[in-house]
Amino acid sequence: MRRFLLRRLAAIPLTLVAVSALVFAATELIPGDVARAILGREASESAVRALRVQLGLDRPAATRYVDWLGGFVTGRWGDSYTLKVPVRDLVLDRLGASLLLALLAFVLLVPVAVTLGLVAGINHDRPADRVISVTGLTFGATPEFVTGVILLVVFSVKLRWLPASAQIPPDASPVEALNHLLLPALSLVILCTGYVARHVRASTVTAVESAYARAAELRGFTRAQVVRRHVLRNATVPATSALGVQLQFLLGGLVAVELLFNYPGIGALLLQSAIDKDLPTLQTTAMVLGILYMLVVLGADVVYRVLDPRVRLGVAAR
Amino acid sequence: MDMHSQNLLDRRRFLAGSGVAGLLALVAACSGGAGTSTGASSQQSATGSLPATSKRGGTLRAGSPPPPTAVDPITMYDGTAIAIVQLVADYLIWLDKDFTLVPRLAERWETPDGGKTWSFALRHGVVFSDGTPLDAETVKASFDRLLDPDNKSAALSAFDTVLAKGGVAVKDPSTVVFTLERAFSDFPYLVSAGNYNTLILKKDYAGDFTKKPIGTGPFLLQSYDPSKGATLVRNPKYWEQGKPYLDGVEIKFYADDQADLLALQGGDVDTQILSRPALVSPLKGAGDIAIDQVKSTGFIALTLRTDQAPFDRKEVRQAVAYALDRPGVNATTYDGIGALGNDHLFAALFPAAPTDLPQRAKDPAKVAALLAAAGVSKLSFPLTFDPPSKDYALTVQSQLKEVGIEVTLDQRTSADFYGGDQEKDTPWLFTKANLVGWAGRAVPSQFIIPMVKSKAVWNGSKYANPALDAAATAYDAATTDADRKAQAEIIAKALNDDVPVIISVWSGNVRAYNGKKFTGVQAHPASYVDFTSVSAL
Repeated sequence: MRRFLLRRLAAIPLTLVAVSALVFAATELIPGDVARAILGREASESAVRALRVQLGLDRPAATRYVDWLGGFVTGRWGDSYTLKVPVRDLVLDRLGASLLLALLAFVLLVPVAVTLGLVAGINHDRPADRVISVTGLTFGATPEFVTGVILLVVFSVKLRWLPASAQIPPDASPVEALNHLLLPALSLVILCTGYVARHVRASTVTAVESAYARAAELRGFTRAQVVRRHVLRNATVPATSALGVQLQFLLGGLVAVELLFNYPGIGALLLQSAIDKDLPTLQTTAMVLGILYMLVVLGADVVYRVLDPRVRLGVAAR
Repeated sequence: MDMHSQNLLDRRRFLAGSGVAGLLALVAACSGGAGTSTGASSQQSATGSLPATSKRGGTLRAGSPPPPTAVDPITMYDGTAIAIVQLVADYLIWLDKDFTLVPRLAERWETPDGGKTWSFALRHGVVFSDGTPLDAETVKASFDRLLDPDNKSAALSAFDTVLAKGGVAVKDPSTVVFTLERAFSDFPYLVSAGNYNTLILKKDYAGDFTKKPIGTGPFLLQSYDPSKGATLVRNPKYWEQGKPYLDGVEIKFYADDQADLLALQGGDVDTQILSRPALVSPLKGAGDIAIDQVKSTGFIALTLRTDQAPFDRKEVRQAVAYALDRPGVNATTYDGIGALGNDHLFAALFPAAPTDLPQRAKDPAKVAALLAAAGVSKLSFPLTFDPPSKDYALTVQSQLKEVGIEVTLDQRTSADFYGGDQEKDTPWLFTKANLVGWAGRAVPSQFIIPMVKSKAVWNGSKYANPALDAAATAYDAATTDADRKAQAEIIAKALNDDVPVIISVWSGNVRAYNGKKFTGVQAHPASYVDFTSVSAL
């Protein structure tokens, strides 16, 4: 396990350098000009030229990239070109907000999706299975901004039970904070449940129909005992990777939800900094998200190895 | 880019109700002609009494898009940043919703020589929020800052050919004198809110507005977060006694229009800074939402390159102009609240606007005749635009298709559309045909000088007409209304006939608010905010 961890951790910096070079190159190709974005279209061309020089944008791309990378590695993340605030504060603030929302959505998602997957798998090809599968597929195929708008109209505009904005006021109590986060978290749970439940259902069906489950039933164990002792663990282990994928999505891919629920997360920051060509913010956000993604993938792999001795011991599954 | 990227208590009714109806004449006089002394007296400060149905206190929560850049009065150009700064700092003159000039830090102004020199008398007793008194040196420093190219202010474009660096002088501690490059009868508009960067800031202002937000405005900026919003509280040192009525204003940022609207409907905010007519008009009268609307001088220009085929033929440009169903454009783009345009730059709101020019209307037979005269059997062209003009582009495409003109839509990102070099290749100034949203301006010269004068900085049509150039200069120097109207007619007729830009509709502007909770929220042609008269119900 230690060698596995060291090998995977060592690969992270190399991957990050590749990611940063790709993001930088892509940003160079995006049309637009950050100096014009800062000063607006009515500023004179000479003022825009002067600002480009001031920001160092007149230097060769390679020089700017190496400078930025050196700064990032040594902790000098610089200031946002457009907002003129330290990138570190901006990115970490947004990251914290995204982590909070992702965590809440994940905490709600896991029990709901796993339970529905198990119920569908145990009752496969029966009405319960069909209802869960079709509902999960339907919700999974519905964009989160659509379910989000419906949730907002029902719970914020019509019933006024929950706030339309997910932004948590500075002096909010934990319950108030939960109120603000509930609708965006729910829209994410609705989106992701079908995908995770489908994985759990598939592995549950495999486990239920396995030789060991049948043997246990023949030995006189009740269905509930078989499920609890044999099916549950075997069915949920493969779901770990599906949950890992969803966690990655929840951490950085929430642009639509962040915009709709007015939540200052890192996804919207990534989008805006790319549109504005705000390179210090864009590069740093991409790197921070890259680190997070790789840690999540590594974490999922570690959990998988811990839960499944066949993977841990290098034994092929039979 | 522009601010198109946005009642209770009508100012006049309020003044009349307060027993100071005489002030109306003074306020109206502030928009008076050149060569006369203009401005209201400080009596206006006596109007701080509250309507009977209203109460002091309360916080108004407003939704608005997050500013794309740091909030800096010198370089700002987006509606949210302008609104935040307008709550904290003040202008010499305010531009009211009906385009009258309202004295603020300047009590009166006059020109002794037909518009070449202007003298502004400052209001006495005004102090900045840190206690520093307002004086003429401070006002001079504010304009010197804007006129210094190193500070990169967009206001420089508005002052171009009118006021240059070194043109501002202090006569005495409460009088500032502007010596212009040429006579300019509408100059007070250029130092008013109509030129939105011209806020009066302290002499030592260093570009750090959100960290040291010192102004003479009605509110104090208590906190600012570029991701979340701004919190403002009442300025106890505000010069207008008894105002503002509110304890504070909270501005919440919504990056998405729909989210902003849902927040208003759900009660998370009480008003919007930049309401969009098409989005909020359907809510009128529904529930708690009330909507104030005004005419505006903003528009979307369909600019045609007069130096390139096929638009180098005047008949072809006229054919496109006659192909448009203008009331239809008004309905789809502005929900019907705009006013029809006639392909010239004088909105009906401008006092000098010609009234005898026939309104251009859709005429398919004329389109066919004009195209035949130009020898064009089948007209097709690409139309370049950015997302805010998408609805307009689709409307133009569909309307022109009805008369056999084929339009290929070329949508760019705003960064791409306004990117590039303004002297060489930026799409908004160099494509064959494009749509550019122009925010409302206080005076027509702010459109004419940069947009259609020969070789002007934003002359996207590359139009050149010496007669128009001469009339534009004469218009600025005109000292009588009759003279100004005469020059306006020359300019308007030239533009209407030559059609370098098609202006089918002058936009209207709206502001939605919770009418059950607040009174005094008003729309403004340029989406500016004046919350000094807003009060809770």
